Order: sequence, then structure tokens, then C-alpha cells
Amino acid sequence: MTTQTKQEESLNDEWEPKILAFLCNWCSYAGADLAGVSRIQYPPTIRVVRVPCSGRVSPYFIIKSLMDGWDGVVVSGCHPGDCHYLTGNLVARRRFAILKELLEFFGIEPGRVNFMWASAAEGERFANLIKKATKIVKKLGPNKKFEKKW
Amino acid sequence: MKNEIGKLYIELGEEFNFYAPIKEKGNLIFKRVLNPDDIVLDYLNSKVPPKEILFPKMEVLFEYKTDGKDVTEIIERTDLDEKNIIFGIRPCDAHSFVLLEDFFAFGDYQDEIFLKKRANTIVIGIGCNTPKSTCFCTSVEGHPFMKDDMDIFLVDLSEKYLVEGVSEKGKELMKRLKWLTDAKKQDIQKAEELSKQAEESFETKLDLKDIDKKLDPNFEHPIWAEISDICIGCGTCSFLCPTCTCFDVIDENDQYNNKGRRIRIWDTCQFCLYTLHTSGHNPRDSCIERCRNRILHKFCYYPENYNTLGCVGCGRCIQLCPVNNDLRAIIEKVNNIKKEKEEKISA
Amino acid sequence: MVIIMGIETENSEIENSMRETARSLLKEKKVDVIIGYTNGTVPLSSAPIMITKEEEVEKLIWNNLCYVNLAKYLVPRIPQLIDPEKGDLKVGIVSKGCVGRALIHLSVENQINLENIKMIGIPCNGIINRKRIEKEVGEKEILEVFAFGNDIVVKGKDFEQEFSFEEYINELCKVCKVKSPPVLEELAEICIGECQEISSIGDNFEDLVEFESKTTEEKWDYIKDTLETCTRCYACREACPMCYCNLCFVDQNKPIWFEKTTEISEIIAFHLVRAMHLAGRCVACGACSSVCPMGIDLNLITRKLEKIVKERFNFTSGIDSKKMPPMMDFSMDDAEEFMLEED
Repeated sequence: MTTQTKQEESLNDEWEPKILAFLCNWCSYAGADLAGVSRIQYPPTIRVVRVPCSGRVSPYFIIKSLMDGWDGVVVSGCHPGDCHYLTGNLVARRRFAILKELLEFFGIEPGRVNFMWASAAEGERFANLIKKATKIVKKLGPNKKFEKKW
Repeated sequence: MKNEIGKLYIELGEEFNFYAPIKEKGNLIFKRVLNPDDIVLDYLNSKVPPKEILFPKMEVLFEYKTDGKDVTEIIERTDLDEKNIIFGIRPCDAHSFVLLEDFFAFGDYQDEIFLKKRANTIVIGIGCNTPKSTCFCTSVEGHPFMKDDMDIFLVDLSEKYLVEGVSEKGKELMKRLKWLTDAKKQDIQKAEELSKQAEESFETKLDLKDIDKKLDPNFEHPIWAEISDICIGCGTCSFLCPTCTCFDVIDENDQYNNKGRRIRIWDTCQFCLYTLHTSGHNPRDSCIERCRNRILHKFCYYPENYNTLGCVGCGRCIQLCPVNNDLRAIIEKVNNIKKEKEEKISA
Repeated sequence: MVIIMGIETENSEIENSMRETARSLLKEKKVDVIIGYTNGTVPLSSAPIMITKEEEVEKLIWNNLCYVNLAKYLVPRIPQLIDPEKGDLKVGIVSKGCVGRALIHLSVENQINLENIKMIGIPCNGIINRKRIEKEVGEKEILEVFAFGNDIVVKGKDFEQEFSFEEYINELCKVCKVKSPPVLEELAEICIGECQEISSIGDNFEDLVEFESKTTEEKWDYIKDTLETCTRCYACREACPMCYCNLCFVDQNKPIWFEKTTEISEIIAFHLVRAMHLAGRCVACGACSSVCPMGIDLNLITRKLEKIVKERFNFTSGIDSKKMPPMMDFSMDDAEEFMLEED
């Protein structure tokens, strides 16, 4: 994704952000699947990476994605208490809390990185949250700041 | 001509990339001048050595395009023929260019990028009227008014400069500067006086006679543990050394756009990754070996390979070491090894 | 704020009692080696020193330029501190507040055994911000520095400049609440000299308000501007007592996460992830900023970390050996106001 093509894209009202979504295998991935099977409409902005648990998502993943030029990142896991590995998402939650505050402190729009919980039964909720995340990222525009330029 | 530096810039700035000392975020560095008012003329020496111009922290060697699988096109650098002027360099740093050239043109491997840039560079240096207390160029065969490694040599006579063309390149350039006036006798005299004054003002004098012969047999001496005990293993001393040349080469691949580039960045023997083998074995596993390597490289391997000391005596490593691991003290310790031995023998 | 009367007299008193303690420790063979500070060979600096003999004690000094965090030398233990037969040597360590904090936190992380350590506690009144003074003096060579009354006087060939001590100490020292090493109930005997009892630290973080009220764009410009000159010599990492990983994340090359180039986004990524790794662990010693050859000030980031951890998890690193650091712990009731929720 070069900067040039991105600028052209952003001029276009129809610009759709590209969001990288890390979904936990046990809840959110199944939730996304349910949303699909139930034919719930949501914007085609996300590209999914399936991870074993939201606790597997290292801050490297998120920062690296932003550097690679993704406009936003979504991390979704099981609701607290429902983790397949019991506490993976609780560990992740502390990490995300700090990352989000630090990103804001470094002047990287915190809205680019969104964390959410969605269970395997919540197809509707998953679709709604993706809609919301897309709206937030769309408002922020293309990620030109932190992208590695060359 | 002191107030005519702006004039010099206007006259040459179009044809040449004009580098001069500039203050940026509190640090004095050599940078391409965009506004002649930025040039700082009253300075001791830059924090980052001017090697950065010819051998930057990060440099693209070439770029390439792929068809998703194989490389289809290699795009070479086009800016190598641009002409550079480095203005205001100190004699120690000018000498470092000679050492860098020794390295980049050693043996069969000629580093085209560096050598082309070097050939297209005109070095205008200024003599050091007030050497720092950490400077020791006179101990490493240098001199605060050494002009051999420059193209044009200036002497700061407070309200004007005494200009002298040293190399052919420099003399030719000087012919173009019609507004230069002939030097008066008293100015030349004053320059000589200043040179003497500067030489006498050196506080640091290191005994580097036969240092390579002292270092070579003491490779395993316990003194290295003592020297390195406070070293924290950062790269400050070598990154900001005008003669350190180590680099790392990285390929960056952009799979989204089917392109990539090969870049080189500074690397240093002070990092553990520098000598780490793929097998996991690291011949320089601790700070002891790494510290030793830096000293040996400058004062033992350089004389062996290039017949000259690998240090120009700028004193940056002394000034900037985070834990004040002073090179002067290290040299003194090394010099004392021999004495101890002699004392033992005589006893 | 405590008003300091005559820094130099106070320091020389501390210095004398520190030397006495060190001497008796070595004499009674309670420690094998003492790590302390000695005079630097260039102005505005000090050098760490390791002492094994009683007569070398006179080399130890204490002043407001002792900026290195000595806990650095314990993890990983440098070879000089390990005896091939006895194993880990017993170490006496000259500890200002933040060195004490670092030691306690390292023991919480099971990196050191505090029983092998004696802290020689020192009441520190702030470390001089040498980079700021260097920048302000500019292109003149500093030859001499001394404290006079409550001023720092910097002298060179033909100039003399005065700086107020209270203004020209590290930003972190201005708000520091742990001047001398904290005492641990269960290990009270390891701290000799000046130590203080701390149960919790109240902090108001007013110094951050100004930066936090900036817009995202302004923050980004500031961070970019500050970090731009970074040469990636990693002096900040190497001077940090908490950066003891065998392989730092920027050095990992299987796979390569972050490149080692000086591209601005790579530099910011390095400092961002390093900050992330120090959350709840940073002991606010300010060594990273003091050692940076380019004079980059990382104190603001340090303060922010302290704030996040204090406000979110009510934790202050290095004052309590029983409380789990937040990033090693988790709880069902953590705040999650930042999570995305349906409207």
C-alpha cells in the first residue's frame, strides 16, 4: 500500500479502510463465522488472522501492522471468564490497556487499535462492533503517519 | 572572509551539496545547508562525526522490483555523481576520511558507493584553535593544524580566514572564488603562532609508541576484565567514532508492492549480536571480549593491516561514554602491563 | 519541597559516612565487592567503580552527578561478580532511592537474591540534568563543575555560568518520592545507612497535564521531533536496570519483528515497545536520559508509565516485595472502559 495510492483513495468518498483483525479461535472466530452463516451484513473491511487466544496477541503484532500500513487493527477475544485457557484474555486485557494509552501518548490515534469481546454465539454483536470499528477508523482516514515510508 | 561564508554558499550551493556544521536540537552536527544563516562557525567539534555524510547511519544500496517471485529489475543509486562540499571539518575528522578510505578500498573489495562519494567530495577544513581537554590528535600522528587530508585549509584569524589550497581539487575551486584577497605576511605569521599555541595547549598526551606490540601478546591478559567491568555494552563509542566502519546489511521486502531494497546500517562490535553465529555460538560472548576488540582494532589490527593507527584522537568516545570508561585510562593501563612484567623480571 | 542548604556540605557528610560503612563491610567480610561511584574524568560525569580492598574505599564518592543505576551490573551478573568456586559474590551496593527500588523490583522478578546484597543507603536530593546543562552551555567546553550554595557553577576557559540546582535536576528527581532506598520488613538487615519506610506513594502527576492536553497531532510531532536524532546505540537500553533480556526484541531475527534502521517509524516503534516492556517495572531513575549521547529526553515517557500503572493498577514498582507487578498478574475486575462496546 503505497502512500500515493492511499492519498488517491482518501480523496475518494468511497474509501474503505483496511483493518487487520486478530480473532481468537474459540469465540470471536466462531462469532465471525456465525455472522457470516447468519448473513448479517457488515463492512468488508477486515482481514482475519486466527490466533489461539487473545492472549497470544503481542503488542508487536499491532505495532508492526500499523507500520506495514494497515489503517486499523482489531483484536477480539472471549468475554472475561469465558477464556478457553481460563485467563488468557485477562492477561491480554492489561496489555491492551497499557498499549492503548501509550499509543495515544505517542500521538498515534488510539482509535486505530480496537479491542473487543465477542463470543461464539454473538454473531450480531460481532457484526455491530466491526461496523463501529470501521466507522472509527474511517473517520481517522488512511494511516499515513506511522506507516514505514520508502 | 568570515562574513562571506554565506557568499560561498550562494556561489557553490547550487552546484554542490553543501554540508556544514549546524545546530540541531542542541547537538552540533554536519548537515546539508539549506539556509546559510544556520551555519555555526564558532564550535569545538561536532557530536556526530562527519563520516555520517559519506557513510550514513542508514543508506540504501539499491532497490529492486520483483514479479512476486523473482527479482526483475535492480535500480541502482543515481545520486552518487552529485558533488559535495564539506565545510568546516576539523583536521582529526578529515584524517578519519583517509582511514575510512583505507577500509572501504581494502584488498579486492572496492566499495563503489563510498569511494564514488568520496571522490566527489571537496573537504574544506578549519584548523583547531582551541583543542578540547579530551583531544589527543598530537598523540596519534595528527596535529590541530594538519592540512594534508583536506582540499582547502582555513585558519580562523578571528575576523577573517586564511585560505590555503592544498590539493589540486582545492586549488581549482579557489581559482573560481574571485573575491578572495591575497594573504598578508602578518596573517601567515599569525596563523603559525596560532598553530603553535594550539599544539602547546594539549592536555592529553598518550604514549602510543609500539602500542600494537604491547597489545598483541596480552590478548588473554586479566587486565581486559578490569577495563571492561563498568562497560554497559552500548554502541555510543563506536557509533560516534569517526573511524568506525562496521555495518550490517539488511534486505527489506515489500510484498504488497512487489519491491524491495537493500540497505546498510551502522553496526558495532560492542553488540552481542555482532559476532553471534547461526549455531548459537558467540566468540565474543561478554563485554570483556567486546571491549578488548574495540581497543585492539584501533591500536593493533589497524597498524597491522593499514600501517597506521585507527584512531584520530578526536576524544568523542571519552566525552560521550555513558559510564565514563575513559580511553586514556585504558591506554595507560595497557602501557603499565609491560612495566609490571619488566619489574617482575628484574626482581 | 525540602529546601537543601548547601549541597556540597551535605554531600560530603553523606560521602564520609558511606565510606565508613563500606570500609566496615569489607573489613568484617560481610561483602566481597562494593559497587559505587567514583569521580569521572570529564566534567559533568561520574564513573561506576568496583572495590574489593579496604584501602580503595577513598575512591568512592557521592555527588549529584551519580546518574548511573548501579543495579544494572547485577542482572545479568557481570563475570567480575561471580567467583568460579564460591558462585555469586556478596555485593555491597551504593544505593540512592532508585537503585534500591531497582534491586527490590529485580528480586520480585526473581533475578537477584537480596540476601547476597547489602544496600548502602544514601539520601539523594536529585541528579543534575547534565544533558540540559550541556545543551544550554552550547559550543563552549565545560572544564569544571562544582556546587556552590544551592547553585551549580559551570566553568570553562573564558566563561562561568550558574544554574539553579532546583531547576536543573532531572525532571524525574523533581517529583521523586523515594529519595533513599525503601526498607523491606522481611529483609530489613540488607539495608544499612540511610533508608526509609514506604508503604505507598501518593502522586498527582500534574507535570503530565500539559503534554496530555495536547492534540494527537501535536503529541506525534513532539515525539517525532524528540526521537528523530536517535542513533540507536541502545545506551538507554543498556543503562536500564530493567532491560536485562538475553535477547532484546529489536535483536530478534527469527523472525525479524523490527528492523534496526534509523527510519523514524522504526525508532518510534523501538521506544514504544521498550516503554511497553517497562510498564510497571520502570523505577524512574532517569538513567536512560542521562546516558543518551544525543541528549534525548525520555523522562516524559517514564512518567507516563508511572501514571498508567499507578492509576490503573495502584502499583508503584520497587517499594514492595510482596505485591505482584501488574504485568505479571491479572484480575477479573480490571477496568475495561477502553474496550469497544455496542452503542
